[in-house]
Amino acid sequence: MIDVAVIGVGQTRYGMFPGRTLKDLFYEASREALDDVDKGLDPNDIDEAFVGTLSTGGAQLGNFAPLMMEAAGMVGVGARHVENACASSGFAMRDAVSAISSGSADIAVAAGVEKMSDLPRERNRLWLGISGDVEWERLAGTNFAGIYAMMARRHMFEYGTKISHIKMVAVKNRQNALENPKAQFRSAFTMEQATKSPNLASPLDFSDACGITDGASMVILARADLARSFTDQPVLVVGSGVGSDYVAIHDRTSLTKLQGAVDASVKAYEMAGIRPEDIDFAEVHDCFAIAELLSYEDLGFCDRGKSGIYLESGITQRDGKRPINNSGGLIAKGHPIGSTGTGQICEVVNQLRGRADTSARQLANVGYGLTHNVGGSGAAVAVHIFKAME
Amino acid sequence: MTSYISLPMYAANIDQRLRIIAGKCTNCSIIVYPQRLVCKCCGGKNFDLTPLSGLGELYTFSVLHGGGAPSEFDYEQKMTGDVLCGIVDLFEGPRVMARLADIDSSQLKIGLKLEAVIRRLYDQEGILRYGVKFVPETL
Repeated sequence: MIDVAVIGVGQTRYGMFPGRTLKDLFYEASREALDDVDKGLDPNDIDEAFVGTLSTGGAQLGNFAPLMMEAAGMVGVGARHVENACASSGFAMRDAVSAISSGSADIAVAAGVEKMSDLPRERNRLWLGISGDVEWERLAGTNFAGIYAMMARRHMFEYGTKISHIKMVAVKNRQNALENPKAQFRSAFTMEQATKSPNLASPLDFSDACGITDGASMVILARADLARSFTDQPVLVVGSGVGSDYVAIHDRTSLTKLQGAVDASVKAYEMAGIRPEDIDFAEVHDCFAIAELLSYEDLGFCDRGKSGIYLESGITQRDGKRPINNSGGLIAKGHPIGSTGTGQICEVVNQLRGRADTSARQLANVGYGLTHNVGGSGAAVAVHIFKAME
Repeated sequence: MTSYISLPMYAANIDQRLRIIAGKCTNCSIIVYPQRLVCKCCGGKNFDLTPLSGLGELYTFSVLHGGGAPSEFDYEQKMTGDVLCGIVDLFEGPRVMARLADIDSSQLKIGLKLEAVIRRLYDQEGILRYGVKFVPETL
């Protein structure tokens, strides 16, 4: 297999931008990614493009990727749409890595975009609930808020996890986003405010969930042996793994772990030749606060059932031993569905190159960085591991 | 805005929805509900149809408040305030996600004994969709 390196990343600010379009968000992310390739890249030299989106609203369901690439001035690049709900661009990344490692492409693009703010509230609630097992989960009266809530209740029942542990995830991630100029929610958020948040789907409150977000992101990849001709700071993709599971959570043996995430991470660790304890920092898929706790266990950062205590110990804070969601995560940085996976990679790559947008956000200890991107309630998971090229 | 479950798609498993008919793998005897084409346990592809008792225990649940449930349940939420949803461990083995009814949300707890009833879920394209909800067991 051919080694793969990231040579450029770009991401729009995340937020609600009613005046902006899918095309101009995608263009902005592509512009930033191309400009980030410090020795320059001719877009005509890109062999393949993989664009993740759920296509919220259904405005453009067919030929989505060619249209976005065209808007970004990259017409002619073989492009296709990759869809796995909230893990769409995590899988677009996987496909771009595979295209290069298999030898079929020298340079490939993984990107993602979502425009959610155009829709009235009830239409957004339609689109946010179409990625479960619709015939059974949806007809049971729930979408992902209720599904993650039922997982949270099981975790509390089986392991004694407390509501305060769940709330601590949102408080930590909101705190991390304060310094991130690209984050959606950048206001101070205390535990006291979290406990007063209105109930969404018990035991989860509104502050344990993501908002409605627009945004786009792009990652440009090249064969590792060519990478230094594009940039002085390539970042190696040392691990890549994907996993899947039953879509409906009632079909799974356990509701307190995502087997797809366990499988994806085992493959990624194996490819990288490292163990969970070697990971220095990570961006994980905290679509609901409980999901971040599950990720600590699924990725092997702590023992099964101990994620609440692990978080409480402070290890995953910015100044802790293994910072998690230093960007603010999905809860605070924002979760524009299709953009989330490649957006996480932008953060990790910038950290590994020592190029965090503000010095307050730059992590000191950045050997190995990991991204964990989950589709729905765990039906599809992509995990990637990165390391700066020596 | 409702998620589109076409009438043919709904009608195709009416036996499962209204008569709670499960599949029993002819190879390993495991019971699957909702029915499957391939056995979860052994990969077998042949199933005998078997009606379930509709009895079970609450495995986990959530009370969905305004904005938490899909929009097709808005009319109901306006009337009742909350949407109660749970996963039920059925007596015969499988687990299924379903609506909970005829109980105050404060009475819900893991392990609660339940039984299936057929109730209206919502209507789409002018056709009422019925399905299983679970209510406290009445022995």
